[in-house]
Amino acid sequence: MTFVESNPRTYLMESGQPQGLTSYADADMQIIRTMWHPGTFYWFCVAMTGLGVAVGAIAWGYQIATGIGAANVMHPVMWASYLTNFVFWVGIAHSGTLISAILFLFRASWRTSVSRASEAMTIFAVMIAGLFPLIHLGRVWIVYWILPYPNQRNLWPNFQSPLVFDVIAISTYLTVSFLFWYTGMIPDLATIRDRTTGMKSRIYGFLALGWEGSNDYWRHYGTAYLFFAALATPLVISVHSVVSWDFALGISPGWHSTIFAPYFVAGAIHSGLAMVLVLLIPLRKIYKFENLLTINVLEQIARTIILTGLIVGYSYAVEHFMSVYSGNEPERFQYEWRMTGYYSWLYWIMVVCNVFVPIALFFKKVRTNLKALFSIGILVLIGMWFERLVIIAGSQAREYDPYSWGVYKYPSIVEWGILIGSFSLFFFLFLLFAKFLPTISITELKEAIPPEEIKG
Amino acid sequence: MQNLNRREFLKLFGVCGTGAVLSGCSEPKRYLIPYIDPPEDVTPGVAAYYATTCRECPAGCGMIAKNREGRVIKVEGNPAHPISGGKLCMRGQASLHGLYNPDRFTGPMRRGATGQLEPIKWENGQDLLASTVNGIARRGGTGRIVFLTDLITGSLEDMTAYWLSEMGQQNGHVMYETYAYESLRQANKVVFENDAVPTYRLDGLDFLISFNADFLETWISNLEFARQFGEFHPLKGDKKNKFIFVGPRLSMTANNADLWIQTRPGMEYAVALGMLRIILDGGLIKGIPADRRAYLGAITADWSVEKAAAAAGCDPGMISAAAGEFARAARPMAIADGRSMFSANATETAVAANLLCTLNPKSLDAVDFGRPHSYSKTASAQSMKGLADRMRAGEVDLLLIYRANPVFSLPGEWDFAGAMKSVPNVVSFSPAVDETSSLANLVLPANYSFETWGDYSPRQGVSGFLQPIMGPVFNTRGLGDILISTGKKVKSEISFPWRDFNLALQGYWTRAYKDSGGSGTFRSFWENLLMRGGYWPQSPSPSPAPSITTTAFSFPAPGQKPGKGMPVVVYPTIQFFDGRTANHLWVQEIPDSMTQTTWGGWVEIHPETAREMDLGKGDLIEMKTDFGVVEAPALPIYTVPKGVAAIPVGQGHTNFGRFADGLPANPFKLMPSGIDMTSGGIGNPGMYAAVRKTGASFDIAHTDGSFSQHGRDFWQTISLDERNKMAANGTQPYIDYPLPKGYDESKDFYPPHEHKDYRWSMVVDMDRCIGCGACVVGCYSENNVAVVKREQVLMGREMSWIRVQRYFDDETKLARWLVMLCQHCDNAPCEYVCPIFAPQHSVEGLNNQIYNRCFGTRFCSQNDPYKVRRFNWYSFSRPSPLKWQLNPDVTVRQKGIMEKCSFCVQRIIEAKIEARQKGRKVKDGDFTTACAQTCPTNALIFGSLLDPESRVSRMINDVRAYQVLVELNTKPAVIYLKRVTQEIRA
Repeated sequence: MTFVESNPRTYLMESGQPQGLTSYADADMQIIRTMWHPGTFYWFCVAMTGLGVAVGAIAWGYQIATGIGAANVMHPVMWASYLTNFVFWVGIAHSGTLISAILFLFRASWRTSVSRASEAMTIFAVMIAGLFPLIHLGRVWIVYWILPYPNQRNLWPNFQSPLVFDVIAISTYLTVSFLFWYTGMIPDLATIRDRTTGMKSRIYGFLALGWEGSNDYWRHYGTAYLFFAALATPLVISVHSVVSWDFALGISPGWHSTIFAPYFVAGAIHSGLAMVLVLLIPLRKIYKFENLLTINVLEQIARTIILTGLIVGYSYAVEHFMSVYSGNEPERFQYEWRMTGYYSWLYWIMVVCNVFVPIALFFKKVRTNLKALFSIGILVLIGMWFERLVIIAGSQAREYDPYSWGVYKYPSIVEWGILIGSFSLFFFLFLLFAKFLPTISITELKEAIPPEEIKG
Repeated sequence: MQNLNRREFLKLFGVCGTGAVLSGCSEPKRYLIPYIDPPEDVTPGVAAYYATTCRECPAGCGMIAKNREGRVIKVEGNPAHPISGGKLCMRGQASLHGLYNPDRFTGPMRRGATGQLEPIKWENGQDLLASTVNGIARRGGTGRIVFLTDLITGSLEDMTAYWLSEMGQQNGHVMYETYAYESLRQANKVVFENDAVPTYRLDGLDFLISFNADFLETWISNLEFARQFGEFHPLKGDKKNKFIFVGPRLSMTANNADLWIQTRPGMEYAVALGMLRIILDGGLIKGIPADRRAYLGAITADWSVEKAAAAAGCDPGMISAAAGEFARAARPMAIADGRSMFSANATETAVAANLLCTLNPKSLDAVDFGRPHSYSKTASAQSMKGLADRMRAGEVDLLLIYRANPVFSLPGEWDFAGAMKSVPNVVSFSPAVDETSSLANLVLPANYSFETWGDYSPRQGVSGFLQPIMGPVFNTRGLGDILISTGKKVKSEISFPWRDFNLALQGYWTRAYKDSGGSGTFRSFWENLLMRGGYWPQSPSPSPAPSITTTAFSFPAPGQKPGKGMPVVVYPTIQFFDGRTANHLWVQEIPDSMTQTTWGGWVEIHPETAREMDLGKGDLIEMKTDFGVVEAPALPIYTVPKGVAAIPVGQGHTNFGRFADGLPANPFKLMPSGIDMTSGGIGNPGMYAAVRKTGASFDIAHTDGSFSQHGRDFWQTISLDERNKMAANGTQPYIDYPLPKGYDESKDFYPPHEHKDYRWSMVVDMDRCIGCGACVVGCYSENNVAVVKREQVLMGREMSWIRVQRYFDDETKLARWLVMLCQHCDNAPCEYVCPIFAPQHSVEGLNNQIYNRCFGTRFCSQNDPYKVRRFNWYSFSRPSPLKWQLNPDVTVRQKGIMEKCSFCVQRIIEAKIEARQKGRKVKDGDFTTACAQTCPTNALIFGSLLDPESRVSRMINDVRAYQVLVELNTKPAVIYLKRVTQEIRA
């Protein structure tokens, strides 16, 4: 609790409301002062993540030049780390919208302080997720053939294919998430425009789309935001359901299951919330947002993680039950092999991290311990990443034909490079976002300050 | 090639003949870019076919080579040829990789001052050889020149002998074959008074017992035997002939048997003697003359069935069962391996097998000593050892080598390489570098069999022809031409009057022409020979049965003590023969039938023994006998009995080109060094090795994911009784027809596919499949399938479109094969998942993969339950000149795209065009796929299901028919017929 003590203005309360703010100007300035004057540590982080992005780009370039053989995918495990990353990042993308839109609709006041950051996270994560299907393509240079547009080749995508569903789902999700995020940010951009001068003011003015703060503006803003929230909410469910159909519509044992859509959505929210914890806890410390991101907010997230963890655990159990109950021998073998075979260590890490570790959050002591929360967030992320690998690579490794069984052993150096690149890109974008855009919604913050506290 | 008619053939022949005559006038043009000088009558885009003979082993199968734009791109069996009958084995299919081997000698070379081979001109090379020969001839003395070749016959053998005699040498020609069958010949001498390898005919038998003879793999004439086995063994009507294999290892041949009698290595003869004893004691065969009975009784006096079983290490019931079957059969036959290098007591076993054959006169109908195999001419191990001794003693001045590689395949202890160092002049005519040729001072590379004129006779009455199918790939010349031109230099034009070897060949064949007494000119006789691919007079008269002697023969008494250490079985494989094909990419890449291993040798050890010895797959172990030591990775597998190790020959090359070198291990180095004085073969008292784990490992590049099929009914068998019962009841198999009539509203989401004119389909009769893998190489060759090499096979990235999957039966631990290829499903799971329609269902039912359309999501492969789709992980390349083999009718696939079996769509299209020109539809049998064409047992049958009269239409309703993974409702168009099993009881 050292950083709590370091800020005498902060005290803990049971509500999710921002603490210690006494004027709207205070609110403006606390957010805005975090912008534009980074220290060397910030630049160091930007440089390191930028380097990571370069590593990823070089790795991808090398893979395009030589072929997918640069990754250790093989027959029969044709998909491995790339699509694991894809599903993982789509999963991460979920919590952002979930927090912003669903909690907005449910009027959960604690969302205010985290919504902007988690929306940004959503967009970056979807962008990165969207890269992975491209990275994994054998001939990425003709990827546009998947787009349904009239062309001279008289060719048309196959709408039976889950991969076409994917393109539609992901691009829709990216568009809506972006609009939701951007719409919510317009008044803030205007605020920044008003509190800056010169070039900055002009740039933010341009981005603020001429916001003037009149009644009409606010009315339209409120309606649009509500609509986007309402539009984004079903997308949270649909996009990951569609992603799950990439697998569930396949006939491989381990994939071909109707539980996949809810199971994947729960898993996505599970990992998304974990990612929120992992991002917000340092953010809170670095930017001294303890008053805004109160421990209560984090506790709420932790409680939701318990729920998603239990859903995920239930799904695991149901999968195993169904594999036996169905009488389908390859299916039964698949799940037995998951527990005992080559990837069993991944499987058990997955079960422990995703199901058993979150149970610790039942204890308030754990829920309110930042270090514990942060560690659990990391563990859940690892568990969820492994879950995707177990589902994707594990299922393929033991398909119908025993002669063609084989295992994907480990990621190649190129796959590591791309993995590093993807995480670097995420943090790189997040760092830029944190510097150039308000990480907490100033507008909502102001709304959340109790009127009786306003002094100026 | 089945649609190659006489007219086309003559046309092609004409081109070839003209080219050859023209090229005889001067040094042949060596342009390798086709059509700088376009030959007449050859149309770009239209293939020309020439008959020739496979020279990859002494079996001498007739081939048809396909030439496109001046390059040979495919070989098939010659349907008219009595040995190949339109089929080829894996080695024959891969012969193109010998032709296009990038490590062939590129031109004449001599060893320079630095000790390296340096290129020289042909003139200089031949002058050098001529002056050396001149010097030796001037000094006089015979036996100073030794001409060491592999088995050659006919005109080239004649020319060699003539050349040597002109140089004043007698008996200088040594024909070395690793497998000289000394023990078999000795046994034939003992029992049938015939020191020869006879012609065996297996197709007319009704019972066969093989004593360790792997006649489907390397034994004498494996392709011919495989074809005959395809007549002998599969279900005929409601009957199936029985085949028993006796031997220490479950070889591919053994696995085709109805009963495998496991014996201790080298004790197979005990089983034969036990059988004899039972037959005699029980009077199971009537009509054995009394003197014969007495003779055999004396020989088997010591060999009661219990003793025999104890000596052989098998169950006595099995011996009596085998004896019973043998006695009951009308035309039984026993064969034995007769290669002492592979087994102790090889002569004894062969004698015992021959004695079994004397019981029933019908057995001898299948053995024809009147037409001995040319193997009978090869030098024995004893004479090779004598040659090494003579060389070491300095009695040889000049060693000429052509295609023989004794340094690799003779026992390591004889040190043939060391002996060669005592020979001042070593000249190699071999087309490619090998361990022996690499020691030569002068290299005058001869043409490969596809580039040269010649003839080869595998056995009396059958002569195959060789003609240049294309210009030489490298700066090489025909061996006959080299001999003629050096002969002219040493002697004179009068001694060597031929302009080139072609004329000498024609001269040789004028004798046959005169003998044939045929009408017409020699020219037409000759053209006919070339067109048919050789000379095999019609309907050879049957030879008289061999006489049977009663000379005493003593067998080692039962109760011999085994040697110290682990018994080792060394065995040859169908892909490598004796190692001579190890530089052919395809045979390295295609998995071994039993072990499914590629790229490198292994040591088979029973899994339980391996566990006891703490050996895992790929642990490098050292095998040390009294005579040598090799290191090879351990492979725990059920093909050997507990406590026995088995190593295949063929790998372990040290100087055989980039594809063969450095792979473990050469078990010829473990061979005993003694000589069996009676047979002249290697004296093998049984091999026993001390096995030591080295601690290092060598990963085994295998392609099998599991030994077991885990109860998933990929392979299915049916007992003969059950099959007959079902057939009698008129039981219909359950088949999800890949036709509109297979549509079932209750389980099909999408409407049925309507087909136009054809619905291509394949029937795979697993009762016929012998697991040989010829189909796989045929496919690689036809469809430009990439070879990925060891590192990528280890990653599981082999590209085969068709594969012979091997599983072990969970109970019997016998192997079961399943030929797996794209099933061209009518409800294909791979089709609907592709986002851009790269797999597309054609109106003829083909599941077409459109390469240009594919961008490599690999979802189709993920969703393919048969796992037959292959992804191009890289743009796989082929070093020059291997790429000349590529079939121009088939796209070479780029990195990042999926490929798979196309049912040879290029052949389908070609057949449709031809049929259209004739104004009709394609008929059943007009053409077939590459795999089906080369299958020696006709296990693969291709055709259209829309034709109710086609073979496939008739076969898919066989009671044995089933589809793999039918429960997935894929409606596969590849329909399997169950293997028929039958129990052999006492």
